[in-house]
Amino acid sequence: MLWLKKIDLAIITGAFLGIGSVLIVLVGNPVNSGICISCFLENLAGALQFQGDLRMSYIRPELVGFVLGSFVVAKKTRRFKVTGGSSPIIRFFLGFFIIVGCAVFIGCPIKMIVRLAAGDLTAVVAVVGMMFGVWCGARYLKAGIFLERERDMPKINGYIFPFLAFMLLFFIFFQPTFIKQGQTGPAAQHAPVLLSLALGLVIGGFSQRSGLCITGGFRNFFLFREKTLLGGVLTFFVTALLISFATGQFNMGLNGQPASHLSHGWTFLAMTLVGLASVIIDGCPFRQVIKSGQGDVDAGITTMGMLAGAALVITWSIRSTSAGPEFAGKIAVMSGLIFCLFVVISYRKRITS
Amino acid sequence: MDRLDKLNSVLLAVLVLITAGMLIQHKLTVPQNTGPAPDNRETLIKQYEKRMASDANLYKAIIAAKDENRFKDAMVQLDEMITSHPENPKSYVLKAEIFTEKGNLVNALSMYRHAIEMEPDLVDNKTPLFIGDSVMDLITVARGKLNREKKLKPNDATLTIALDNIYYLQRRIAGGCE
Repeated sequence: MLWLKKIDLAIITGAFLGIGSVLIVLVGNPVNSGICISCFLENLAGALQFQGDLRMSYIRPELVGFVLGSFVVAKKTRRFKVTGGSSPIIRFFLGFFIIVGCAVFIGCPIKMIVRLAAGDLTAVVAVVGMMFGVWCGARYLKAGIFLERERDMPKINGYIFPFLAFMLLFFIFFQPTFIKQGQTGPAAQHAPVLLSLALGLVIGGFSQRSGLCITGGFRNFFLFREKTLLGGVLTFFVTALLISFATGQFNMGLNGQPASHLSHGWTFLAMTLVGLASVIIDGCPFRQVIKSGQGDVDAGITTMGMLAGAALVITWSIRSTSAGPEFAGKIAVMSGLIFCLFVVISYRKRITS
Repeated sequence: MDRLDKLNSVLLAVLVLITAGMLIQHKLTVPQNTGPAPDNRETLIKQYEKRMASDANLYKAIIAAKDENRFKDAMVQLDEMITSHPENPKSYVLKAEIFTEKGNLVNALSMYRHAIEMEPDLVDNKTPLFIGDSVMDLITVARGKLNREKKLKPNDATLTIALDNIYYLQRRIAGGCE
């Protein structure tokens, strides 16, 4: 892989994501949700009994593969660098609110692109919302507002998250009694375990090397007109679109789309929250998971916040259904945006004082 | 490696071995109740069959009345059933079927939506409760008819709700991770 230039890697990663996220639906994953970090975390939270909806309880091997793929490649290429200590509690709650935003839209930025590539026009508003959030975040970065720099940490901190992923892998194969696996609903819709794991490992490995990030692609473009990651994101979309066409999964329209709703205003706000929070913590949910495998303790904390969010969006109904967003979801999106602004304001004060 | 390091290493090895031993012993002696798919799936199917048999018994008279086109009688009994068994979505499914047969598509859609909100497995084709095909048949007929009516009466709130129900049902049947 070392002979590949970074731009090639971003595009290759995007292509793998596009192909994988559409094809995995053909072998069992939920429609339009081939790969979705927020859905996968909700499933994981259910499997670990952090939430009680059995229909959303399954350890997705892809998620484990992302972390372990990233870990193995980072170790192999000497990019495993253990850092952390940058505003952990802020990152935890931003991770929490990112999942709230995803749950109100019904999908993370990866799924947003998969939905769009499958012809789901409700995702167009989500793309605009996320881009607006990223644009706001980029403006804040330009104004000098960012979380403080991470520092080197003792090695053991970096191994915790890959170890947790390894434990989950163990749980997948040995099914201890406390792990729940739903037999109906989305939990019952899954590809064969080894195939899912292999896909996760490949995408995790390539993503570690390329740094592919949905919000990062837009952020770099807005900040520096830099197109490397954006090229990967666009490749992801185009590949997913072509595969959707080729496999007959493309169905353009606003109505009747799987796991969607027509509350476009809330979709916009929810994805604005996701975009803004992702810029503040330097990466979309997918990127956070990948970074947590390469020794980034801050990303690990964020992922734990996302897991907490994934449990509570189900338990407290802070989410949307096909009928539209729940009241608690709307309030949580507003709270998330308020929290982001508090963070922005407080960090600006800290820098200027 | 000084003495403390060595002591810690030994302690660590002992703890790992004890824990592994406990896990193995637990695995060997305690019955596992959440094994992967086959066992649970079978149990689940049995549960569904039991439930469907119970429903068939409970709704026997109502289904008979419906089959004999005594719709009014069946509706009265269904209202009573909703009062006595409010948690059972079958009442709403039967109401939807009766409304469909009577040509009242608006109410049929509403009843199907209510039933599916109560029991998501009704649109899960991996369960024997799946009624997605009947709902899709209704949607196919209703969509064209109601859209035409909506053009004639654009401010009709009932039609707006009915179309919203169609889109909701379509989304649920389409599946996805929700």
